[in-house]
Amino acid sequence: MTWRGFLRGPLDGRTVARLVAGVAVVGALTAGAVVGFGLYNVSAKAGHWPGVSWVLHSTFRNAVALRAHAEPPADLDSADMIALGARHFDSACRFCHAAPGEERSATVRAMVPAPPPIAEAVTHWEADELHWIVHNGIKMSGMPAWPAERDDDVWPVVAFLRAVPEMNGTDYARLTRKPDDNACLMCHGTDGATDNAHIPRLDILSETYIATSLHAYAIGSRDSGIMAEAVSDLTDADIDVLAAALSAVSPQGQPGSRDALAQEGQTLATARGTVDVPACRACHGPWPEPLNTAFPSLAGQHAPYLEAQLKLWRDGNRGGGTASRLMHQAARDLTDEQITRLAAYYASLAPAKLNDTSN
Amino acid sequence: MRPVRRALRDRTDSTGASIAQNSEPLRDDASRPSYLAQIPRRGVNVKPFRVSLLTILATGGCAGQQSVLDPAGRDAEVLATLFWWMLGGAVVLWILMNGILFYVSRAKEREFSRRTAELFIIGGGIVFPTVVLAVLLSYALSEMPRQRDLGSGLTVRVVGESWWWRVEYLPDGWDTPIVSANELRLPTGSRSEIKLAANGVIHSLWIPALGGKTDMIPGRETRMSLEPETPGDYRGQCTEFCGESHALMAFGAVVMEPEAFADWLDKQAQEAAPPTGTESIRGREVFAAEGCGGCHTVRGTPADGLVGPDLTHLADRRTLAAGVLPMTEAAMIDWLRDPEAIKPGVHMPAYGHLDDADLSALATYLLGLT
Repeated sequence: MTWRGFLRGPLDGRTVARLVAGVAVVGALTAGAVVGFGLYNVSAKAGHWPGVSWVLHSTFRNAVALRAHAEPPADLDSADMIALGARHFDSACRFCHAAPGEERSATVRAMVPAPPPIAEAVTHWEADELHWIVHNGIKMSGMPAWPAERDDDVWPVVAFLRAVPEMNGTDYARLTRKPDDNACLMCHGTDGATDNAHIPRLDILSETYIATSLHAYAIGSRDSGIMAEAVSDLTDADIDVLAAALSAVSPQGQPGSRDALAQEGQTLATARGTVDVPACRACHGPWPEPLNTAFPSLAGQHAPYLEAQLKLWRDGNRGGGTASRLMHQAARDLTDEQITRLAAYYASLAPAKLNDTSN
Repeated sequence: MRPVRRALRDRTDSTGASIAQNSEPLRDDASRPSYLAQIPRRGVNVKPFRVSLLTILATGGCAGQQSVLDPAGRDAEVLATLFWWMLGGAVVLWILMNGILFYVSRAKEREFSRRTAELFIIGGGIVFPTVVLAVLLSYALSEMPRQRDLGSGLTVRVVGESWWWRVEYLPDGWDTPIVSANELRLPTGSRSEIKLAANGVIHSLWIPALGGKTDMIPGRETRMSLEPETPGDYRGQCTEFCGESHALMAFGAVVMEPEAFADWLDKQAQEAAPPTGTESIRGREVFAAEGCGGCHTVRGTPADGLVGPDLTHLADRRTLAAGVLPMTEAAMIDWLRDPEAIKPGVHMPAYGHLDDADLSALATYLLGLT
C-alpha cells in the first residue's frame, strides 16, 4: 500500500499490525535510550512536570483507600495507646514529620515529595487508612514500611496520629519524656515498672529473658515494629549490659483485686489445666520448685499486653528465643475467653520475679 | 527391578515368545468354542524359586506380635478359626471352579444340554453360595454377642489422643482410676471391659492377636471386651486414619497371669519413686524447671498436667512415644531433643534448647520412673 492509500483508504488488518509494531519499536528504543543514556533527570531540584504530582498523589490516595480495611481495636483512642504511639513516633518518625509545635529541618523540606508536617499528614485519613500507610509505607515517596510482619503494634501509632492534630508541643514533650535521658525507660517507665497497659513492665523479668528477647528483636526472630526500631543500634554487648541493669530491679507493688474474670483465670492457670491446654503455672509460676528463668514471669504484668501476646502465640506470629516453641504448643488451643481470663489472673498477682511468684 | 516387572520379563523369556503371540488361536483349534480362543493352551511357567519366595512373603506376616493368625486370646482365636475356614473353603472352591473350567475346556470339550447348564447356573451360582454364605453368616453372627460380652472384674478406659493412648485402669471396687498411657495390660482368665473414647478426632483400637477392632469416636463412648489367654507381649495399632502420625500411633499390649497383673497394677497405683543418684536428682530438677509438669503427671510430685501421657511409671512400659521407640536412653534423648523428627505433627514441643548434660540427666530421671 502506498502512503496515499494508507491515508485515504480503509485500514486493513495488516496495516494496523505494521503500525502497532512500528510504534512499539520506536517506544522501546526511546525507553531504552532514557534508561541507557540517563536522559531522565532524577534531580530532586528539578521537581515534577505539570500534572505528574496530581497523577502520583491521586494514585496514592486511591490505592490506599482500595486496600485499607483493618478493624481498629476497641481502645484505639485510649491514653495508653496514644502515649505508646507518641513514643514510637518520637524515635522513628519525628525526624521527617517533626513533632507537634516543631518545624521540619531544612533538609527534610528539600525532599521530593517533602514529608508533610505530622498534623498536616494525618488529615483526611481514616484510622484503617493510617494503619495501612504506616504498615505498608509508600513506594518511591521516602515513607518506609513497618519494619515487622505483624500489624497489631501499628495501632498505637494510629492512635497517636488521630490525636496529634489537637496536640501542642507541651503535651508532646510530656508524653515523650525520657527518665535519665534513657530511651528504654521512656516507654518502660522508671525502674522498668511502667503503668502503661500496652507496654510490658520489665522489673519482673529475669536477665536471661530480657537478653534473649532483645537479641530476638535484633535478629528479627521476635516480630515487633516498635521494638525492632528500639534495638536498631544496640550491639550484643549493649544488650547484655541493658539486660543486667533492667533486671536488677526488685519489683514493687500490691496484688490487684481478684475479680470474677481473674478467678476463672486462676482456675485455668493453676489447676491441672485441661487435656488440651497445660497449666500456665508449670512454666510461669507460682510453682513449688525453681523454674527456668528463660521463661518470663507474668506476675503483675499488664492484662492488655498479656492478651495481645497470647493471641500472637496462639496465631503463630510470636517468636523469641529457642524456648519459644514450647509456648506455641501450649497456646495453640486457647480460646479468646480463656486468654482474657488468664491475662486478668496474672495481672492481678503481686508483681514478682518468676521464682518469687505467689498467689 | 520390581518383582512384578521381572516376572513379566521372565515369562516372555522362558516361553521364548511374547504373551500376545501365545494368545493366537492354534491351528488345530477349529473345534474349540470361539470364546476360548483367547485362552492359551500352555500354562505360564513360574519357576519354583519364585513360588517359594511368594509363599515366604505371603506368610511372613502370619506370626509375631501383631498378627490375627497368631491368636493369643479367645476372640482372636474365633476370628482366626473363621478366617481359616473361609480360606480353606475358598481354596476348595477355587480348585473346584478351575477343575470344572479345565474339564470343560481342555479335558472333554463338548456341548452341554440346556438342562445341565441351568443346573450349574442355578445350583452352583445361586443355591450353593446362598447356603455357604448363610452358614458363614449365622456362625459369625452367633459369635458376635460373645465378642461383645460385658467384661467382669477389670474395666479399662482408653482415650485416643493425637497420637497416643490415654489408658485408665479401674478394677472392681475402685473409684479412682489408675492412669497410665501407651500400653494396655490385661490379665488372662477373665474378660476385661474396655471403654473407648477419643479426643478431637476419630481413632480405632486394634490388637490383632487379642481380638477385633472398635472405633473411638469423639463425644461418644464405645466399648469392647477382650478375653486374653496366652501371656506375652503383643502390639496394637490405631486403625482409623487420624492425622499425619496415624501410622506412628501404636502401643504395647501385654497379657499377664492374673497374680502378676494384680501385682503390676498395685505398683502402678503407687506414686513415683523419688529419684536416687545425683544424675537422676538433677534430671528431676530439669523436669521441674522446664515446666514438664504442665503437660505430664508424675504422681507424688507437683507435676500434674493432663495434656500428655502420665509418666509416673514411664520406664515400666516396653516402648516410648506410643510404640515407636525402644525404652532406651539414646531413644529418650532423641525424642526429647526433637520429637517432631520422630513423630510429625506431635504436640510435644522440642527441648533442643537444653544442653547434652541436661538432656542426659532428664533421660536418666525419666528412665528411673519404674
